[in-house]
Amino acid sequence: MKAYILRRLLLTIPLLLGISFVSFVIIQLSPSDPAEVVVRVNEIEPTDEVVAITREQLGLNKPFLTRYADWMCAVAQGDLGRRYVDNKPVAQELARALPPTVWLALTSTLFMAVCSVGMAFVCAMYEGRTVDYLLRGFIFLGTATPGFWAGLLLMWLFSVKLNWLPTSGMQGASSVILPAVTLSLTYISTYARLLRNSMVQNKQKNSVLYARARGLTRGMIWRHIFRNSLQSTLTGLGMSLPKLMAGTFVVETIFAWPGLGWLCVTAIFNRDFPVIQAYVLLMAVMFVGCNLLVDILCAVIDPRLRARGQA
Amino acid sequence: MDTFCQFVLLNLLATAMLSLQKKCYYCQPLNLPRRMERDMRKIGFVLAALICCLNISACQNDEKSTAQAQRTEMVYASTKDIRIINPHLYSGEMAAQSMVFEPLVVNTSEGVKPCLAESWEISPDGRVYTFHLRKGVTFSDGAPFDAAAVKMNMDAIVANRQRHGFEMVNEIERNEVVDTYTYRLVLTHPYYPTLVELGLVRPFRIISPNCFINGQTKDGVSGYVGTGPWVLSEHKEKQYALFTANKNYWGAQPKLQAVRWRVMPDHQTIMLALQKGEIDLVFGADGDMLNMDAFNALQKEGKYATLISKPIASRAILLNAHQPVTKDRAVRMALQYAVNKQAIVDGVLNGTESVADTLISSTVPYCDLGLPARGYDPAKAATMLAAAGWKLGPDGLRAKDGQKAIVRLYYNSQNAQERTLAEYVQSDLKKVGIEMKIIGEEKQAFLDRQRTGDFELQYSLSWGTPYDPQSYLSSWRIPAHGDYQAQVGMERKEWLDKTITQLMIEPNEATRKAMYKEILTYVHDEGVYIPISYSRTKAVHSKALQGVGFGVSQYEVPFEKMYFENTSAR
Repeated sequence: MKAYILRRLLLTIPLLLGISFVSFVIIQLSPSDPAEVVVRVNEIEPTDEVVAITREQLGLNKPFLTRYADWMCAVAQGDLGRRYVDNKPVAQELARALPPTVWLALTSTLFMAVCSVGMAFVCAMYEGRTVDYLLRGFIFLGTATPGFWAGLLLMWLFSVKLNWLPTSGMQGASSVILPAVTLSLTYISTYARLLRNSMVQNKQKNSVLYARARGLTRGMIWRHIFRNSLQSTLTGLGMSLPKLMAGTFVVETIFAWPGLGWLCVTAIFNRDFPVIQAYVLLMAVMFVGCNLLVDILCAVIDPRLRARGQA
Repeated sequence: MDTFCQFVLLNLLATAMLSLQKKCYYCQPLNLPRRMERDMRKIGFVLAALICCLNISACQNDEKSTAQAQRTEMVYASTKDIRIINPHLYSGEMAAQSMVFEPLVVNTSEGVKPCLAESWEISPDGRVYTFHLRKGVTFSDGAPFDAAAVKMNMDAIVANRQRHGFEMVNEIERNEVVDTYTYRLVLTHPYYPTLVELGLVRPFRIISPNCFINGQTKDGVSGYVGTGPWVLSEHKEKQYALFTANKNYWGAQPKLQAVRWRVMPDHQTIMLALQKGEIDLVFGADGDMLNMDAFNALQKEGKYATLISKPIASRAILLNAHQPVTKDRAVRMALQYAVNKQAIVDGVLNGTESVADTLISSTVPYCDLGLPARGYDPAKAATMLAAAGWKLGPDGLRAKDGQKAIVRLYYNSQNAQERTLAEYVQSDLKKVGIEMKIIGEEKQAFLDRQRTGDFELQYSLSWGTPYDPQSYLSSWRIPAHGDYQAQVGMERKEWLDKTITQLMIEPNEATRKAMYKEILTYVHDEGVYIPISYSRTKAVHSKALQGVGFGVSQYEVPFEKMYFENTSAR
C-alpha cells in the first residue's frame, strides 16, 4: 500500500509539469495581444507606444521558453505572478476566492452524498415498487432542469415566497444552502442511480442469501450490501469535488458567491493570463490529489483492493 | 440568530422530545405497539413543523417591524464591484468614485456650479483659470483641503498624461499655488470645455495628499480619502462595499447614515432580492441592470416606485465607411430610411424613449442645427439602392459588381437589449434586400473588433451629458475607438479630426458654433450613424425610499439626497 502511494505521488510530478506546459502554450495562442489587453483593461488608450512599453514591462518580449521557465521558477517559490487588471498578486486573489469555493463544494458534496445514498437505499429496498419509480422520476427531473433555472426557482420559493433563506451573497451559515442544493442537483441523479443499480445487483448475490440464511438482521445485511456497492460511487463522488470547485461559475453568478469560478471567468473575459494559468495549475493539482485520495479511500473500504494491491 | 438556524434548532428539539419518550431511539424498540409508535412519530413531526412555522412567521414580523423603525442604511445592488476607485484612474465604478471624491466645480443641469472652488475667474484670452477655494474643508482623514493639495493632485494627473483620453490634460501648461486658498491653472490654448471636464467624475477629482504613493497616484494610492459626502468604510471584493456618511462633510449632510453597495452579477437575482426586500434601489442606464421587460413588470406590479430620467445619451448604429458594402454612401443613406425606429422604440424600449432623428439630441449644447430628419421609408430606401446599382437578385438579396449585400452587426453579448434591437434592424434590412448577420461577442472581443474596424455595423451608445458633445467628438479622433474606424473611410476624415482639434481651443463662441455645425452636418450627410433613440436612465426602488432622482450624468447616483420615510431629515 505504501509503495503504491509513493509511486502515485512520484508520477504526479511529470503529470503536473505537462499540464502546466500545455496550459501555458494554449494561453499564448490567444489572438489578443496580452500587452494591449492590459492597457485596455486599465482603460488606457492602447496607442502603439503605450502597448510597447507595457509589453516590455511585463516581459512579454522575451522568448517563449524563457517566459515559461521564469514562471515555473516563480511558481516553485509560491509567486503566481500579478494580475493584469490591478497588479495584485494572483496568489492573494486565489487565496481569497478559495475558501468560499471550498465551503460551497464541500456542502454540495455532503448534500449530494446524503441524498444519493438515501435515495439509492430507498430505491434498492423498494425495487420495482411505486416509491422506486417516483424517486427515479424525481431524480431525472432534477438532472434535466438547467442549473441556473433551478437556482432561480429555489431562490424564488425558499427566499422570496417562504422567506427562509437569503437570496444571495455569502452572509451567514444559511446562505450556502441554496447554492449548494442547486449545484448538487445535477450530480445526485448520477450517483443515486449508480449506487442503486449496484445495490440491486449485490442484493441478488449468493452471499446475501447465505447471510439471510445465517439469520443476520435486515439492517446488517443492508449494511454489507451497501459497503460492497460503494466503490464506483465513491470514486465518482470524490472526483466531483474538484469538478465542483472548477466549474461553479453559473451558480456563483446567480447567488453572488465570491468564489473561484467567478474569478476565473472574469479573468478569461479580461484576458488576465496570469490568473488563468494559476487557476489551471491549481485545478490540475486538485484533480490529481483528489484522484489519489479517492483511490486510497477505496482501498481502505474494500479489503479486496488492498489484497490486490499487495499482490 | 437567523430564522433558519432557529428552524433547525426547533426541529432538533422536537426530535429530542420524542426521543426522550423512547429512551434510545435507535437501540431499544419501544414497548408500544408498532402502529402506535409510528403514529406518535408522525404527530410529533407535525407538531414540530407547526411550532417552526409559527415561530418563523413571528420572527418575520419582529424582524420587519424592527427594521422599519430603524432604517438608516440603504442597500443598492449592482452587477459590478466598485473595484479600484482611485479618482485619477479609470478602473473603478464611476458612481462609487463620485460618492467619495469631489471636483473643483460640478456639472449640473443649469451648467457649471461651484463645488470645492467657490468662485473663479477666466482670463480674457481663455488660458488662465484662477480658482478661489472653499475654506474650512478637510479631507475625511483630517488633512486640510487647500491649493497645495489641489496642485499635488493636478501634478499627479498630468504626470500620467498618456493615460488620459481627455484632451484637457494635454492642454495644461502649468498649475500654481497663488496662496493657501487660491489656485491657478494655465493652459496652452483656450480649451473651451475646461470647466466641464474639471467637473467630470474622472480624472480631475481631489484625493487626500496622505494617500499618494511617492508623490504620485498613477501606480495606485494607499487609501481612498476624499472630501465627499461619503467615506468608504469597508470593501469586500466582489461582495459588498459600505459607504458611511462623512461626519465632517462641508456641505449638506446625507440623510442616510450608510449605503451598502451589494454586488449581484445576475439581473434576475437583483429582481428577486428587490422583491424580497433585501435591496432598496436598482439604478441603470443601458440595460446593464434592468431590461425593459423587468422594468415594465415592476411598474405594473405597483409595489415599487419606478422612475425614468430625461433623455441622456444617444443610441445609434455605427456604419463602417471602409468596409465593402457600407463604404458606398448610397447604401448608408438608404439604410437611414430602411430602419423603423418607431417600432424599435415601441417594441424593444417599450415606448420609454423618443426616436432620434439626429445623432445628438438638439437639446445638447451646439447641436440644435435643424438637420433633416430621415423617417421610415422602405420604398425610398429600395429606390436609392436600386439607383446606386444594387440590384435585387432572385434570392431577394441585392448585389452590385458581384458583391452581395451581406453585412455583419456586432454587439456586446452581455447586453440582451442590444440583441433584440439588432433583430429588429435585421428584419428591416431584409425587407430592402440586405442580409444582416448578428454576432454577439464577449466584451473583450467586442472591444478588439472596435479597434481593428472589422465590422460593417456596430451598436453604439454615446457617453451622454455632460460628455456630449465635446468629449464624444473628441473620442472620434482616437484610432482605438469604433467611431474612428467607422469614419476613416469618409473622404474628409482628416479634415474632420483637424476641425475637432481646432474647435476645442477655439475662443470665439460663434466660430465654435459654426465648426460644430459643419462637423455634425458632414457626419449626418455621410450617414455614418443611424440614430435610433435617446436613452434614459431608469430606477426602481422600494416605496419607503424617498428622494430618489437622477444626476446630470448617467454614471452618477445621487445617494446623498435619498432617505427612508421613517428617518427624520438631518
